[in-house]
Amino acid sequence: MAVGQISEQDGYIVIALDGEIDLETAPAVRKALLENLKKGRNLLIDLAKVSYIDSSGIASLVEGLQVARKQGNDLALVSVSQRAHRVLELARLDKVFTLHADLASALRDRTSGTAST
Amino acid sequence: MVADKTPVGADGAGSSQPPHQDPLDFAAALSRSFAATQDVEATIRQALTRIVELMHVEAGAIFLQDDTGEALVCRACVGPVNVEGLVVPKGQGIVGRSVAEDAVLVVEHAYENAAFYAEADRHTGFVTRSILCAPLTVGSSRIGAVEVLNKANGTIFDDSDQNMLKVIASSAGLAISNARLAARLVEQERLKRELELAAAIQRSLLPRADPDLPIAGFNRPIHEVSGDFYDFFQLPDGIIAFCLGDVSGKGMNAALLMAKTASLFRCLGKTVHDPARLITILNREICDTTSLGMFVTMVVGSYDPATGQLRFANAGHMPPLLKRADHSFETFPAKAPPLGILRDATFETEALSLDGRQFFLYTDGITEFRFGRDEELGVDGLSLMLDNVHGDSLIERVEHVLQELRQAGWQARDDLTLLAIDDALAAPAAGRNTGDGGEPAENGEFLVGFTLLADPSRLKILRPALQAAAMACGFSSEEVHDLVLAATEAVENIMIHAYAGRRDGEITLAMHRLPDGMMVRIRDFAPKVDTAKIQPRSLEEVRPGGLGTHFIRTVMDDATFIPLPDGEGNLLELVKYRASGNRGAKETTGSVSQKPTEGK
Repeated sequence: MAVGQISEQDGYIVIALDGEIDLETAPAVRKALLENLKKGRNLLIDLAKVSYIDSSGIASLVEGLQVARKQGNDLALVSVSQRAHRVLELARLDKVFTLHADLASALRDRTSGTAST
Repeated sequence: MVADKTPVGADGAGSSQPPHQDPLDFAAALSRSFAATQDVEATIRQALTRIVELMHVEAGAIFLQDDTGEALVCRACVGPVNVEGLVVPKGQGIVGRSVAEDAVLVVEHAYENAAFYAEADRHTGFVTRSILCAPLTVGSSRIGAVEVLNKANGTIFDDSDQNMLKVIASSAGLAISNARLAARLVEQERLKRELELAAAIQRSLLPRADPDLPIAGFNRPIHEVSGDFYDFFQLPDGIIAFCLGDVSGKGMNAALLMAKTASLFRCLGKTVHDPARLITILNREICDTTSLGMFVTMVVGSYDPATGQLRFANAGHMPPLLKRADHSFETFPAKAPPLGILRDATFETEALSLDGRQFFLYTDGITEFRFGRDEELGVDGLSLMLDNVHGDSLIERVEHVLQELRQAGWQARDDLTLLAIDDALAAPAAGRNTGDGGEPAENGEFLVGFTLLADPSRLKILRPALQAAAMACGFSSEEVHDLVLAATEAVENIMIHAYAGRRDGEITLAMHRLPDGMMVRIRDFAPKVDTAKIQPRSLEEVRPGGLGTHFIRTVMDDATFIPLPDGEGNLLELVKYRASGNRGAKETTGSVSQKPTEGK
């Protein structure tokens, strides 16, 4: 439930998160991220349908980002809701992650090499 | 029914006396008159009068064996001299011999007979000439004898007289025996009714179940009446006085002492509020007025539902049981002797703060409840049972304990009595947080409180409640989100760190509305957390973990660990005030005072 559809677009694995990401559901998010990073894939995490995320969910995203950076993969967040943004902001991570307004602009920006926040 | 015992030729044909009434008719009439009355004595007397008339004798007497079987006592007598009450030692005299030998005896010249017991004549002046005596027998047991003296016309007692008295005696014996049995049944019935009345009075001494009070109990006597008791009542200031006791011994004497002690408590408890003082007065009274060898074990106490403070004194009774939220328990063994033993015994009042916990009093009938041969329920078994009884109300839970005991096939050997106080029921109504360590909630209004297991799957149930409470405190939707986040983080910290992933731990939350914000108290029952080690992570560090504490510190205006005694778990108090532009507003009306969060 926390991890929705996982698809592949323009060389990116798009992982759509869904619902409430907390201590109960964060392990599934972490697993989905790490499994795909293990395959050396670039990830776009779609937060459009995330209604709630707390430190557990953020921690999974942070861990994913660290692994991606270490192995030279790309990881960015897409369609970050106001709520999720607020939590990133509280964690002062809103500047650490690359954020994209929607999937189309993310793919356009990522594949052309320019990021936008 | 006496027909087969009728001797042949009982009519005494050939005698010169007036014809006898048919002894069979007489015996039948006698049986009827016995059956018709419950007054055995009157019937015996009446029967004897008729025997004397019928047999034309000067006097007659019926002797019955006394309770010891060592003597015969004259229970009825007809004649010129009253010998009623005369005691003839076993085997002595003509009556004694008649009974001993189970034989009809005829004595023609009493004073020439060695067996004649002349004592009676010496005392009364009556001159006994001839005697006819027949034993009163029922089956193989002899219950006494009937004796007639001095045939009126001076003739001797002949065979006809002997046969007649024999028939009458066997009939009378049976009738007397039946009448006695009937009287005994009546007596038993009367005792049973009295026991039932006593039991009803005892039940009326027990308090009535009150669903509005956080206290309930039961008393189940093993026989009709109980030596156990409990009571509680609320004083005008809201404090509940309570007691539970067990009188030594069983039966009516224990029940009477129980009634006395319970009544004394109910009377004194209204004016004497210190448990030790009250129990001291009870002890003196029971020492002064109760027969030696009887005593009462008892706990007397008072409980304030407004504060959760409980005070009690224990006179030699089973240790009260305090149940913690983590299902462990603590007991308080008695330090003073039972009531009624030492007049100058001193008693102590013990005080404790229930803090939302449960307090139980019980009699040993419960803990000594047996399963099979050897296994006793014990305090541990009772504690476990109390953990596993559920019900909508305390009254139901208490009744379930009794049902559990029954269903488990346990065999009661004693009266069963239990009294339970559940402070968790009183705490919310009193505006107390059940996890506040007894500290009064000095500010704010209690909104809602509940307990959840340290299981992450419970978080999604918790959040809507937090959200609703925060909205009720007038926060903006952004503030509501932050508050829900921070409080959830605190709960997650407990799950991860305090309970270390153990999912059966309990977490208690209480939400209070403050005049300008909200307070959330979160309590766990895990080992003490070293608060010095809880630091928000450095934000320069990009790493998972440690974020939750940072969220709490950032979102909340105040996050304080309130010190609790060791073993009591941890209590975190979170306070958030509404943003300045939002202060004073009672409802969320969309007034957003906070800097709007940036878009993407």
